[in-house]
Amino acid sequence: MPRSQLVMLASFFALALVFPLVAPYEALASEILIFALFAMSYDLVLGYGGMLSFGHAAFFGIGAYSTGIILIRVVPSVPVALLGAVCVSSLAAAFVGYASIRRHGIYFTMVTLAFAQMFYFIAFKWTSLTGGDDGLQGVPRPNIGPTDIHPEINLYYFILALVIVSMFIIVRVVHSPLGTALQALRENRNRAMSVGYNVDRFRLVAFVISGCFAGLAGGLYALLLNMVPLGSLHWTTSGEVVVMNIIGGMATLFGPVIGAVSIILLRDIISNYTDAWSLFMGLIFMMAVFGFRDGIVGFFRNKIIPRANKILGQAFPRKH
Amino acid sequence: MNLQFVLMQLFNGLILGSLYVLLALGLSIIFGMLGIINFAHGAFFMLGAYAAYTITSYVIPNFWLALISVPVLMAIFGAFCEMLLFRRLYDLPPLYIMLLTFGLMLVLQDAVRLLFGSMGVPFGTPKSLTGMINLGFMYYPSYRIFLIAVTSLTAAAVWLFLTRTRLGCIIRAGTDNPRMLQALGINISKTMTLVVGMGTGLAGLAGVLAAPIQNVRPLMGMDLLVDCFVVVVIGGMGSLGGSVVGGLIVGQIIAIGVMVWPPMANTLIYLFMAAFLLIRPRGLFGREAFHE
Repeated sequence: MPRSQLVMLASFFALALVFPLVAPYEALASEILIFALFAMSYDLVLGYGGMLSFGHAAFFGIGAYSTGIILIRVVPSVPVALLGAVCVSSLAAAFVGYASIRRHGIYFTMVTLAFAQMFYFIAFKWTSLTGGDDGLQGVPRPNIGPTDIHPEINLYYFILALVIVSMFIIVRVVHSPLGTALQALRENRNRAMSVGYNVDRFRLVAFVISGCFAGLAGGLYALLLNMVPLGSLHWTTSGEVVVMNIIGGMATLFGPVIGAVSIILLRDIISNYTDAWSLFMGLIFMMAVFGFRDGIVGFFRNKIIPRANKILGQAFPRKH
Repeated sequence: MNLQFVLMQLFNGLILGSLYVLLALGLSIIFGMLGIINFAHGAFFMLGAYAAYTITSYVIPNFWLALISVPVLMAIFGAFCEMLLFRRLYDLPPLYIMLLTFGLMLVLQDAVRLLFGSMGVPFGTPKSLTGMINLGFMYYPSYRIFLIAVTSLTAAAVWLFLTRTRLGCIIRAGTDNPRMLQALGINISKTMTLVVGMGTGLAGLAGVLAAPIQNVRPLMGMDLLVDCFVVVVIGGMGSLGGSVVGGLIVGQIIAIGVMVWPPMANTLIYLFMAAFLLIRPRGLFGREAFHE
């Protein structure tokens, strides 16, 4: 695991520790953390795996619904609920992945999207279990051991702990042999195959790992909102996480995190003035595609750092 | 469950299937030429319905005028989108055009919502097509029979255009190998404008036809679009026959689902797709590794 990634993780942790002091309100800070984890888990699939999945809302939403349903109906224990959410969403990712991974490129996108829509319809129609259109209401926040997570600030630090651990694991995965192989077959599928890699299996494993952390993010989201909105399963949520990745910078791990922070903050600010967030979101999408394809991280890497080096004289040496 | 009811449902499935066919045809030819899925296709469909509403309620209250003018207007709109937006991104991986169309979809839907409201607008059946037709074994609304007729004629016309005219021949060649086409001296960028315009026009036509039988609301195309993805996955991308057969199959699956267990009707098509992918990954008429 390269030192630069550890530095990034440590600085993210340090910033996140003090973030509630400057954030407009604590719940917003928690939401940002949750989407940062969601976006980073998605980077594994899009950035490193080169697979444009348009169905990741499914795993996020399934994680959220599982957490809510376990807390309401089975046992009021947060660790059990989150563990259950991770298991269920990993299973769902294994199912969707197994069926869709045999298709590549655009077909993969369509198939993942269609499966996500299937879960959306199930949640929409199975009203007795999921609350249908109104979403799953009344998700409790039981104490974790002696800790009361009802105060938003306590919940924030609980979420932060889980998010940091998950991010550490994701960074580890990317720099493991699995991650390297994944990038190799993103770059050249045929060559990776001829070297003897089982391409589809690697893609499936990455997909399931990604779905697992998306599910955890979803579970935390249910705790944060005290409910699960049906929209968490809709494919526009998948689109949002894609744009977080593009805006932040694909295949950089912390780029998507920056993307998530920017999008959620921007949504919060714009929603104060108008209800046409979707319009702005669409415009952000189009602008990102036309003028900002390398994302924020790429912008710094390609534009700012070379310029700074020119002025400061190789203050930031280029690594190869 | 009597026979009358079953036949009625199968006919309703045929109506839904007809809309799928029109949308999937447009999706499929755009996909064939550009190698992208057009996320804005559902929004184009919705825009067609709203254009019909605007024409019939504010300009001239004549459905027939809307039926003819909206597809043309939408085709022009699509051609402009291609020339102003899509064209700049052809050199990049297809991911970017798809994201662009996704953004375009959000913008169009929200713009329409701001203009007309999120509740939707009323759209009546055209006067000359109200009432029922006696089919011998049952009575069926004449507008719906008309819809099936128009769709069949359009699908036939598209098929004739693509297989019997020089321009259609160029388009099919471009679907096969755009670079080779360019090397042979064909102006490929004009062809692409034409294809996107044609696909958008078909989506607009589907929008006008759907307006009297569906709720005209800003998000009407969004979920229909995902169903169309199922259609093209089952039918096989880039195959016109696949779009037609796939559209009719998916329409019937929903109709049968509604008869058997209504809440599962929509879920059924995705399960069918999953099963289909395991048995025949390239779809009914799809070619191996086409645009993968």
